[in-house]
Amino acid sequence: MEMTIVIPSRGLAALLTACLRLLHVALAEAGISDHRIVVVDNATPHPFASDRFGPQVEILRFDVPQSFSHACNAGVRRGAAQGCRHVFLLNNDVLLHPRAIAEMLAAKQAAKAAVSGARLVFPDDTIQHCGVRIGGPRPIPYHEHIHTPTPLVSRRLRTYQAVTGAAMIIDHALYDELGGLDECYPFAYEDVDFCLRARQKGHRITCAQAVDSVHFASMTPGRFRHEDESRAIFEARWAGRCTSDTEEGLYKC
Amino acid sequence: MLSQVTLITHTRNSAKTLPRLLGTTGWAARRIIVDMHSNDGTRDIAAAAGCEIIDAPLVDAVDEIRNEFLDMVETEWTLVLDSDEFLPAGAEQAIADLITRYGPSHDAIGLPRYNMLGDGHLHGSLWYPDHQIRLFKTGTLRWQQGHHRRPEAVGGPGRIVKLPPEGSLHIHHAAYRNLEELIGKQLHYALTDHYDTDQDTFDFNEYVSRAYLQYARRFDPHADGELSGALATIMAWDQIMRGLIHWERLGRPSELPAVFTLPIATTSEVPKTAVRRDGRKVRKLQLKRHKLRRILQKLRGRPH
Repeated sequence: MEMTIVIPSRGLAALLTACLRLLHVALAEAGISDHRIVVVDNATPHPFASDRFGPQVEILRFDVPQSFSHACNAGVRRGAAQGCRHVFLLNNDVLLHPRAIAEMLAAKQAAKAAVSGARLVFPDDTIQHCGVRIGGPRPIPYHEHIHTPTPLVSRRLRTYQAVTGAAMIIDHALYDELGGLDECYPFAYEDVDFCLRARQKGHRITCAQAVDSVHFASMTPGRFRHEDESRAIFEARWAGRCTSDTEEGLYKC
Repeated sequence: MLSQVTLITHTRNSAKTLPRLLGTTGWAARRIIVDMHSNDGTRDIAAAAGCEIIDAPLVDAVDEIRNEFLDMVETEWTLVLDSDEFLPAGAEQAIADLITRYGPSHDAIGLPRYNMLGDGHLHGSLWYPDHQIRLFKTGTLRWQQGHHRRPEAVGGPGRIVKLPPEGSLHIHHAAYRNLEELIGKQLHYALTDHYDTDQDTFDFNEYVSRAYLQYARRFDPHADGELSGALATIMAWDQIMRGLIHWERLGRPSELPAVFTLPIATTSEVPKTAVRRDGRKVRKLQLKRHKLRRILQKLRGRPH
């Protein structure tokens, strides 16, 4: 199988429907027909019916709310049970550009990377994500150029220390090797942690810059409830163990 | 694997629904399928999943024979699920957490249950959260005769904890494929249930009252949309059917107040000239019903 797409979602069915519609378009544009789509219903009060999003979409239902990491890992286990080449983690509030997946795969290949993110913009056309940098001396990840109008930000391909898990294509073999996202994070920083662990194994991380997809960002209710706890875990783990972009300059392809 | 939990499920031609149940309970230390002479491949499915299969006589009300098979359980905890129920992903961890949290202070746990019509989950009043006491310390719960009676905790009701629905493990009940199936099942339950044999306590009007109450409590379009009226009507009619069955089994002891066996969904359709046996006009009952609904709506905090 070419790709397993995993979309965790707590509610937001209308937004998820739009997300899936554009996902199908982007998959077709990228020429990927051999794929599985797993929506992880993460304790939505009104569970998604099994046919809610059409026959091509599988629903994996949790009644008890799970961390983002656990939801993603469970979805990947379900979708990629028979093995597949790529895992695509996608948020339910991302509206993909028709060429987004094709560009992510192309960037991944061009940068010889194992992980590829997507350039995301807020609805007002400012950058939400085009790569994650890490500031020092404490390891604080931040989105480069966030809130800058997207026409002002270069579309040159480059590598990063991390990309957001809102739209992230990963080699399935690497995902397996690293045991997926670390489930010790309640909600947030698990994606950056994954990328840093991938880099420790010698893999590159890149982000497709050619097209913009829309990311509403943090639409899930209670999204920030566990942010502090997650950040504390991240800092404790990575303080002194990762490079500061601000000290050593930007990584280049 | 949860070494302290045994699953018991009764089956009767459950080949269509059993795979989903078995697919979501593989973590149980032991799974016992009590089969009532299935001939549709149910036993093969259970055997292939590594379950123990026990033969049981064919009965109309499964609850009546649950107790005899509960004695077979040797683990500390028992989980009882019906063959048309299943659990969500993460159930193993959720049950382990429940046992750790409530085991020291309680004997049994009431799990909220989603009832499904087709693929949709019902959320209306009385359909949800529909707590079911199905996870319990072995030997602490006894079932009663009849359909869908609540089991009794040997240590008293204080030993039972009901989980708040939000964020808790639920039982998922693929109850009915459509309204026809609901009607068929309700009628089956009504025909095979136990009824009081004391003629003196029989009052058909009680069934009529229960029917109105069922309608008033179940009519919840905010939760289930247009389906709600249909479901409420079926469950109200179920009470009328039960009243008639009870009446006949007692040898038709009294004259029925026939006017109240007419459709009850909308009281505005009831002829204004109709009167009850005691001479009171129907309109009075109509007002009572509306009053009752207003009270219920107030309790639910919804606008009229």
